[in-house]
Amino acid sequence: MNFLDNIAAGLSLVGNLEAFAALFLGVLIGTIAGAIPGMSATMAVALTLPFTFSMEAITAILLLLGVYKGGIFGGSIPAILIKTPGTPASSATVLDGYPMAEKGQAGKALGMALWASCTADLISNLALILFAGWLASFALNFGPPEFFTLILFSLTIIAGVSGNSLLRGALSAMLGLLLATVGLDLVYGTNRFTFGDPNLMGGLNFIAVLIGLFAIPEVLSMVWEPKPHVGKTRSLGKNSVTFAEYRRCFKSIVRGSFIGVFLGSIPGIGAAPAAFLSYSEARRKSPVKENFGKGELEGVAASEAGNNGVAGATLIPLLALGIPGDVITAIIIGAFMVHGLQPGPMMFILNVDIIYGLFIGLIVSSVFLLMIGSVAIRGFKYVADIPRGVLFPGVLVLCIYGVFAVNNNIFDVGVMFVMGWVGFVMLRNDIPAAPFLIAFILGPLLENNFRQAMLMSGNSPDILFRGPITWFFWALTLLTMVAIVRAGIRATKDLKKKNI
Amino acid sequence: MQSIHRQTAIGLAALLVSAIIILIVIPTWVSSPSNVRNIVLSPVFWPYILSGMTVLIGLGLVVTGFYSSENLTHEPNDIPGGYRRLALMGAIMVITMFALPRLGMVWTSMLIFVATAALIRSSHPKTALICAVVVPLALYAFFAHVASVAIPQGDYVRLP
Repeated sequence: MNFLDNIAAGLSLVGNLEAFAALFLGVLIGTIAGAIPGMSATMAVALTLPFTFSMEAITAILLLLGVYKGGIFGGSIPAILIKTPGTPASSATVLDGYPMAEKGQAGKALGMALWASCTADLISNLALILFAGWLASFALNFGPPEFFTLILFSLTIIAGVSGNSLLRGALSAMLGLLLATVGLDLVYGTNRFTFGDPNLMGGLNFIAVLIGLFAIPEVLSMVWEPKPHVGKTRSLGKNSVTFAEYRRCFKSIVRGSFIGVFLGSIPGIGAAPAAFLSYSEARRKSPVKENFGKGELEGVAASEAGNNGVAGATLIPLLALGIPGDVITAIIIGAFMVHGLQPGPMMFILNVDIIYGLFIGLIVSSVFLLMIGSVAIRGFKYVADIPRGVLFPGVLVLCIYGVFAVNNNIFDVGVMFVMGWVGFVMLRNDIPAAPFLIAFILGPLLENNFRQAMLMSGNSPDILFRGPITWFFWALTLLTMVAIVRAGIRATKDLKKKNI
Repeated sequence: MQSIHRQTAIGLAALLVSAIIILIVIPTWVSSPSNVRNIVLSPVFWPYILSGMTVLIGLGLVVTGFYSSENLTHEPNDIPGGYRRLALMGAIMVITMFALPRLGMVWTSMLIFVATAALIRSSHPKTALICAVVVPLALYAFFAHVASVAIPQGDYVRLP
C-alpha cells in the first residue's frame, strides 16, 4: 500500500464522530487535569485508562493521546498563574511565566504558552509521521538478539536519566524487572514467585502496578502532609498575545520544538529536560538575555515549545519499536495491549490503518488543543478552587473502580495498594518510579528475546554480538553508562569540595 | 555528623532484599524442571541474574553513600502526626480489602471517601460528604451499565 492508501485506510477508521469526540474529550480531560495542582498528566492518563476498556481500540488510544497532549499544556496554567507547575514538564514555564503574571500579564503569558504548545505539538506530530514509518521499516530487520540489545540500551538510559542518581534509577529498574518475573515461566510454564496463589500465575496486572505506582503515592503524600491550599491565583490581566509577538518568538518556538522532538525520541529523557534545554538555548541566543527570569515572553514560548515538542516524538520509539519512551507512553502501551495490539514494526504491516488513524487524530488534536486551551485559560479559577480534601479521596475511589474493572478481580485492588506503598517509599527516598514501570513492561520482552537468542544459537552468547545493529546498541549502552557514571563522579567530587 | 546516609541505607536495604531473594525465595518459590540442559534457559537463571545485579547496585549505593551529604531522616513535617495518619490510611486499605466482597464496591467506596477526607482534614466537609455519595454511584453507573463490568454488590444492599 502506498502513502495515500494508508491515509485512506486511517481515515476510514477515524473518520467518524465517535473517534473525534473521544479525542476532543481527551484533550479536555487532560487540560483540566493538568491544570489541577496535585494532578499530573501521568495520573490523568492512568486514571482515564480503565474507562477505555469497553471502547474500540482506536477510540480508546485517541482518547488517551488527547489526555496526554491536554495534560502537558494544562500544566502550564497553574505554573503561570500560581507558580505551581501542574506537571513536572511545566517547571521551566514558571521561570518567566509567573513574573509575567506578577506584572499583570498572565493572559499574554498563557496565550503565548498555548500558541507555542500548539505549534510545537504540530511539529512533533509531523516528525512522528515522517520518522516512525522509516524506523519501523528498519526495525523489521531486527531479530531477538537485536531486540535484546535495544531493550537493554533503553533500560540503561531510562534508569540513568530518570532521577538524580544512576544507582537509584538502576535499582528501580532491577526491582521492576524482578517483579515482571512473577507468574508462569515463559518457556517451561513452571511457577515463579507465585507463592501457591493462582492469582499470581498470570503475573501482576500491569494497570494495578501502574496506578499503584503513580496515583496512590500522591494520595499517601496528601495523607502524610495534608496541605489544603495552593498559592494565590493571579488574574489574567487585560493583555493578550499579538501576532507580532508570536512572530518575534517563532524562532525560539521552532528551535524548542526540534529540541523536544530530538529528546523525546530518545527513550527516558522526557519533557522536563527538553523544556529546560529549549529555555536555556533561547536565553543564550536572545539579544535581551538579561530579561530572562524576569518575565520574558520568549522564555515562556521556548519552554512550552520544548515540553510539547516531546509529546508526538515519544510515540516514535513506541510505535516503531514497541519501546515506551516515558511513563505516559508506557501507560499508552498498556492500552494497546488491553485491546490486543502489540506496538512495534509489525504493527506497520498488520495494523497500518490504526497507525495512520492515530497520525490523523494527532494532527487534529493540535487544533482541539488550541480551541480547548483558549477556553481553559479563562476557566482556570474554577479548577484551582477544587478542594484537595475532596479531590484526593475521589482519586482513591476512582483508582479502586478502575483497577477492579481490568479483570473483575479484587486481588488487583490489593496489588494496587501494595504498589502504592512501594511507590510512596520510593518517592520519599528519591528513587524514580519511571524505570520501575518501564522495566516491568519491558522485562518479559527482554527475557523472552534473550532466551530466544540463546535457543537460536545453541546457548552461545556470541549471537548477542552477531552484527552491526547489536554492536551499535552495545556501544550506545556503554557510552550511556560511561557518560552517566562520569556525571555521577563529577557530582560527588563537587559535593566533596563543598563539604571541605 | 551522622554515621549513616540515606544512600547507604537504601543500599543496605537492596542488599538485604536481594540476599533474601537469592537464599530463600528463589530456591523455595521458583520451580525448574529437572530436564533443563542449560542453566541459561532455566526458569531460575533470570531471577538469579537480576538478584545478582541488585546486589552489585546495592554495594554501589553503600559505597557512594559514604560520599553523600544526604540526611537519613527527612525534614520535619509541617503538619505533625504524619506517621499516625499513614498508619490509619494503611488500616483503611486493609479494611477495604475485607469490606469490598461483603459490603460491595459502592458502599465501601462511600466509606473510604469519608474516612480519607476526614484523615486529610478536608476543609469542605459538606462537599466531601456529597461527593462521597455521588462519585461512587456515578462510577457504578458507568462501569456497571456502560462498560458492563460486574461491580461487586455485597451481601446486604444491591443496586439496580
